[in-house]
Amino acid sequence: MGNKQQAGTAKKVGIPALFIILAILPPFFLSQYWLHVMIISLFYVMMASSWNLIAGFTGQVSFAHAAFSGIGAYASGMVAVNLGVPPWLGILIGTGVAALLGLGLGYLCIRMGGIYLSLTTLGFSEILRIIITNEDKWTRGTMGLQVPGFFSEYSKANYYYLFLVVTIFLLIVIYWIVHSEMGLTFRAVLNDELAASSSGINTIRVRILAFTISSAMAGLAGGLYGHYLMLITPDIPSLGQMFLVLAMAVIGGMGSFIGPIVGSFVLETLSEYIRIYGEYHVLLFGLVALAMARFAPEGLMGIVGKKWRKEWVH
Amino acid sequence: MNEFLMYLTNGIVIGVINAISAIGVSLIVGIMRVVNFAHGELYIFAGYFSYHLSASLGVPPLLAMPLSIFFIFLIGIGMERTLIRPTYGDEMYSLIITFVLSIVLQNAALLIFGPYPNKPPNLVSGATNIFGLYHYGNQRLLSFFISIGILLFIFYLIKRTWFGKSIRAVSQDREMSSLVGVDHLRVNMLSFGLGAALAGAAGVIVAPIFPVTPTGSSAISLNAFVVVVLGGMGSLKGCVIGGLALGIIENLGAAYLSTMYRNIFGFVILILVLVFRPWGLFGQKAQ
Repeated sequence: MGNKQQAGTAKKVGIPALFIILAILPPFFLSQYWLHVMIISLFYVMMASSWNLIAGFTGQVSFAHAAFSGIGAYASGMVAVNLGVPPWLGILIGTGVAALLGLGLGYLCIRMGGIYLSLTTLGFSEILRIIITNEDKWTRGTMGLQVPGFFSEYSKANYYYLFLVVTIFLLIVIYWIVHSEMGLTFRAVLNDELAASSSGINTIRVRILAFTISSAMAGLAGGLYGHYLMLITPDIPSLGQMFLVLAMAVIGGMGSFIGPIVGSFVLETLSEYIRIYGEYHVLLFGLVALAMARFAPEGLMGIVGKKWRKEWVH
Repeated sequence: MNEFLMYLTNGIVIGVINAISAIGVSLIVGIMRVVNFAHGELYIFAGYFSYHLSASLGVPPLLAMPLSIFFIFLIGIGMERTLIRPTYGDEMYSLIITFVLSIVLQNAALLIFGPYPNKPPNLVSGATNIFGLYHYGNQRLLSFFISIGILLFIFYLIKRTWFGKSIRAVSQDREMSSLVGVDHLRVNMLSFGLGAALAGAAGVIVAPIFPVTPTGSSAISLNAFVVVVLGGMGSLKGCVIGGLALGIIENLGAAYLSTMYRNIFGFVILILVLVFRPWGLFGQKAQ
């Protein structure tokens, strides 16, 4: 019994540690181009995993996740360009702005139910796009806002490690939330709202909290992304981007910790290969996501196998 | 003053079309608690169908319109049967599926019809003098009367026919209605088709006035959602009043405040409704 538990703990610590060691290696053997693909994949891991925190674990479908990443990017970019605030501080400001707007939207919609949240977040994304495109005095519209990077000397390897560290940090926070008492209430709310609320859980407050945390994470990811690309465009908060994030979570496996991570790497890498043939990757991913949602709602992680999943998810 | 009256008339004409489009969403929400995020895409497809039927295949425009609506009706039935039906009772998956479908259809439209705006031929030309005050385009007037006709038809269908009765029964109490012999799967399928057809109807009516583009679809969906929330989810009367209100506010706002922010007015209304009267004008307070 004790041995088994020890083996379990060793596995729980050992396997992630192995992955982290492996994750240090890419800059030593990948080309600049594939290192870029890895950095973008890490951005999508942050986005899909934090979206999964609300959608997969509390059943709230937000269509404003890309919008919040855009808010993080533009807030950080604009204070950097106009006030000379360093990006390190800027991304924290961006995260804060995304959290505040998330709290406001969540407070307004969540008490009315999931449908209202989805409708309003979709509207929010559209409106944000219109404002960013039209207020080109501040945002440079569709031309994009040029912003400074994090490092005085440009190095893809540095960006890779920066993204890696922040991604691991966010994943630890998400893992911790899901496995904490708060995560228990999340799942209680997802499984049976009535039972959860009658056993004394304030379901609305739990959902608003989850939505705020998730929006803040999107803001942080967006800020990093903007300063990495050094050009912030309305594509970051677009519904097309939102769709990619959603597809990564759905195809990888919603409601599982690993699913969105796998989905992000698989889809981002695939889209690099498909891009040669034109912009068909959106249509293809859409069809795959539809088939997955219809026939394999647990995604790739559900297909891979129950035993493996059991050890990792709960 | 005359200018103001013209903007107001524009608002009313667009408002009635808004109402048709919003009823398409509201019916589906009311009956099956499913929001069809692909609503705007169906609208766009209908516009392109009617353009290609009349401009490329030479079908008379007056026939191309109902034909396009019928195609959209069939697409709606197909969507319900293959994708929506398995999600009943799982709100989250139905939201995800219709959203993904909207992206798929939008990209398919770009691929099939290209990115350029298209406009089916006008049914009538010229303008009519309204009460000696201002001239108003005949195509818009005709669109207005067709829309009124469609609205009356929907109200008749839902308030007076057996099909309408079963729709109302299912939306009020699914279990009771199946106990008294309503086949709710069939009602769901037909109402999803009807909801889609209404998106199509709004699309073919608007297309000769405002050309359709594949990227215009999310604004159209959003417009319908604002009307549904403003009027109260599932309320037909709410859709008509809400549709007119949004049409008038958008047109006057675009004329006197800002054209660029035409679509913002709707979102502001949505937020105000959520703050002050989240159940909408004619919705039920307890949910």
